Amino acid sequence: MKKVYIYKIFERFWHWAQVLLISILMISGFEIHSSFNLFGYRTAVEIHNISAWLFLFLIIFAIFWHFTTGEWKQYIPTTKYLKAQFNYYVGGIFKGAPHPTKKLVYNKFNPLQRLIYLGLKILVIPVQVISGFLYLYFHYPVKGLELQSLEYVAFVHIFGAFLLLAFMIAHVYLTTTGHKPLSAVKAMITGWEEMSEEEVTDRVVSDIETSILKSRAQLKSTEEYSELFQVAINRAGKKVGINSLIDTRFKQAIENSGAGYFSISKDGIYNDVNETWFKLYKYDSKDEIIGQHYRLSRTEEDFAELEKHVDKVLQTGQTINHGEVKRICKDDSVGYHTLTISPVYEKSEIVGIEGFIIDTTGQLLAERELLKKQIRTDEELKKQETKKTK
Amino acid sequence: MKKIQIAFFIVFLIPFWCFPQTEMENEEVQDTVSSILLKNYVRMADRNLTPSVDHSTFPQLQKEFKSAHEVTEACISCHTGRADEIMKTNHWMWERIEKLDGRGEVALGKKNILNNFCIGISGSEKSCTRCHIGYGYTDKSFDFSNKLNVDCLICHDNSNTYEKKRGGAGYPAESVDLNYVAQSVGTPSKVNCGVCHFWGGGGNNVKHGDLEKALLDCDRNVDVHMASEGENMSCVECHITEKHNMAGKLYAISSENKNRATCVQCHTEAPHKDKILNEHFIRIACQTCHIPTYAKVNATKMIWDWSTAGRLDEEGNPIHESDADGNHNYLSIKGNFVYDTDVIPEYFWFNGTADHHLITDKIDTIPVQMNSLGGAYLDKGLQQQTDKPSKIWPVKVHRGKQIYDTVYNTLIQPKLSAEVKGDSAYWKDFDWHAASKAGMDYLDLPYSGGFGFVETEMYWPLNHMVSPKEKTLSCKDCHTRNNGRLAQLNDFYLPGRDKNIFLDVFGIGLVALVALGAVFHGSLRIFFRRKSSSKL
Repeated sequence: MKKVYIYKIFERFWHWAQVLLISILMISGFEIHSSFNLFGYRTAVEIHNISAWLFLFLIIFAIFWHFTTGEWKQYIPTTKYLKAQFNYYVGGIFKGAPHPTKKLVYNKFNPLQRLIYLGLKILVIPVQVISGFLYLYFHYPVKGLELQSLEYVAFVHIFGAFLLLAFMIAHVYLTTTGHKPLSAVKAMITGWEEMSEEEVTDRVVSDIETSILKSRAQLKSTEEYSELFQVAINRAGKKVGINSLIDTRFKQAIENSGAGYFSISKDGIYNDVNETWFKLYKYDSKDEIIGQHYRLSRTEEDFAELEKHVDKVLQTGQTINHGEVKRICKDDSVGYHTLTISPVYEKSEIVGIEGFIIDTTGQLLAERELLKKQIRTDEELKKQETKKTK
Repeated sequence: MKKIQIAFFIVFLIPFWCFPQTEMENEEVQDTVSSILLKNYVRMADRNLTPSVDHSTFPQLQKEFKSAHEVTEACISCHTGRADEIMKTNHWMWERIEKLDGRGEVALGKKNILNNFCIGISGSEKSCTRCHIGYGYTDKSFDFSNKLNVDCLICHDNSNTYEKKRGGAGYPAESVDLNYVAQSVGTPSKVNCGVCHFWGGGGNNVKHGDLEKALLDCDRNVDVHMASEGENMSCVECHITEKHNMAGKLYAISSENKNRATCVQCHTEAPHKDKILNEHFIRIACQTCHIPTYAKVNATKMIWDWSTAGRLDEEGNPIHESDADGNHNYLSIKGNFVYDTDVIPEYFWFNGTADHHLITDKIDTIPVQMNSLGGAYLDKGLQQQTDKPSKIWPVKVHRGKQIYDTVYNTLIQPKLSAEVKGDSAYWKDFDWHAASKAGMDYLDLPYSGGFGFVETEMYWPLNHMVSPKEKTLSCKDCHTRNNGRLAQLNDFYLPGRDKNIFLDVFGIGLVALVALGAVFHGSLRIFFRRKSSSKL
């Protein structure tokens, strides 16, 4: 069992601030509805009004945060696994079956949660906010724009309150269905959630994939890919407490990550490569590579340049983010990728290098196509202009 | 990251910490009377209360006055034009021309209106006009244009020795030293106003409930404004007078929303520190919260049943019976009464307009609404001739049972008072038929000969006996589920009082179902886990 960092500081703050404010609003609100006496009516009204403003403030913060971080995507409803999730709660959970969906950074919520939290966000909360402000500001005829009666606004507001209360009860109960009854609550306090080994692996993979996807989408310079990738791996590793790339869990994660991994001994012989790596080089299995010298897949001049970098890593222990390199595949075709080279230590002595390659061939070709097109259209334009001037 | 965390906590926690703080400060400030926000008012302590002239030195007032008219002549010989002013006012005319909703302009006033106390003055003027600011209003032929009929002294006597004669049509009692009184004139005091306004209806506090002799010397709990140890304000401090026309009116006889004396003329429209309370003022009169009860000292009449009048003792003499508190509960001349002290008002929407049941009107509702206050929750200032929405007002409702014509279905004005028997006055002869005939004949109105008694209601909006702030109503007096002050005023949704039973049942049901579901689901999980672990 491992701990995984799931909830960022803002999320945790947001969540607990909501807990506090919704609870205060709920208690003072039902006192205003004369459901019980606690603070005194006047104090209840004052508390309710102040908390309402704070809540609005918090909502604005949260909206801002969700859009700047892209976290809003977590709430896009999906029907995938919805039934499985439902079946799990009504059946599997009793038999100790695994959760049908995994809690991942880019997919924190299961489909049921997505649906209900989305409903909460776009239905109940705005309903409460809008009806609340109508309640507060438009029942007196001072603005020339007033409600004929407070009745319907009050009913909507009270209805929303009951829904929220029901949600809160169900929500608190469902937090006990995690790995251990209190894992979910602890996670919401510390950010770290206890998970099973299996979940951890899934999570590492997802983290790396997310990083790659993000880097591809956001960056133009291909040189930055590998750097980002390195950062992603370091972060993912740190989060799950893995220090060495050779860790089997990590390797497994890397296998699925879409990045090629290689390990080369001091004398330039491949010790290990992953599936992605040999597929990028168009080999059929890693056995064809292991034992070979890395000279194999380079042109003469490229090899000379690469050797310089490899030597530098071996001598200084630095990690190098190499820019784009050309590779010669098994069938003599050519591909491009970016590359990181890090030292491998054994008893504090450098015994070799390891690193990742991220394929950029497709990107590169596309960019070249784009460039050609651009040049062509530019020429066309020039021609047209010269014609016009004539 | 730490910094952001701290910043968030500061941003969110500061308001929580601040608000209770300011709340406490507010209360401290409001405790001291002098900090109340006032406009258009100079405190007694800051005034020069010495009169600017000494009337006792004026030669005009030295000659021996043989009649009250001579005093008036002396007054207006210096105060020129003043008699003309007062003769245009309600105090003199006992009527005003006002628009009644759907009836156009009507001249209404004490002169011709009916109430459910002594019913009306017609035929009994000599007795009733003891409270007219004139001399000789013996019947409807009174000359309202004669300046010398004006009684200056009833309002301006500051010696407290002037009094009008019982049954004397407004003339002073023989015992009054007119020269002494004339030399002691000044601004009207509580006593001057009170002699009529406290004793209306034939006894102290009978009619208004919030105006009575206790106000002459009371503490802050009775009335914060008139309290002896406080500002000890007189009536005219609020009922500001311009050309002898007093601001303020009573809706027992008035109809239009004009010339009113209001709280806001001194207290502004936003006198509270609390915004929510100031907002309440949009739909709730100040009086509603600040006059929690009326008739705080002496009892006021709540019910008057004329139908039992006329029971005499064995010798044929009228009977007086009193209740345990010393208030009349039966008089042969008037019937049965119910008095009450420290009465909780009834509450109604009111927009400053009123309608009246005129003597010529057919009875179409029972109880007959002697006067009815205009207003409703949905009257937001447009429906009526008002520029402000209707507000919730505290009202004394006086319930009665009085004589009406069972054939013509109209109220009857009986002749009540006379000096001697045999003049058809009910109070002497105890003959309803003769009194009715005499009364209606006097007004040139038909009387069928058939009479009965019908229930009536009269509405008196309350304005006086303002309590100290500690004794005002609090939220829960109205915002409460059962038996709140506004329990009867249910043409609108009041938070804390009203609920939709279906919604509440649905909501509580939903919450209970979810909670039960969670308990059930949780129990199943525990049960199955035990089962599977015992297998292992």
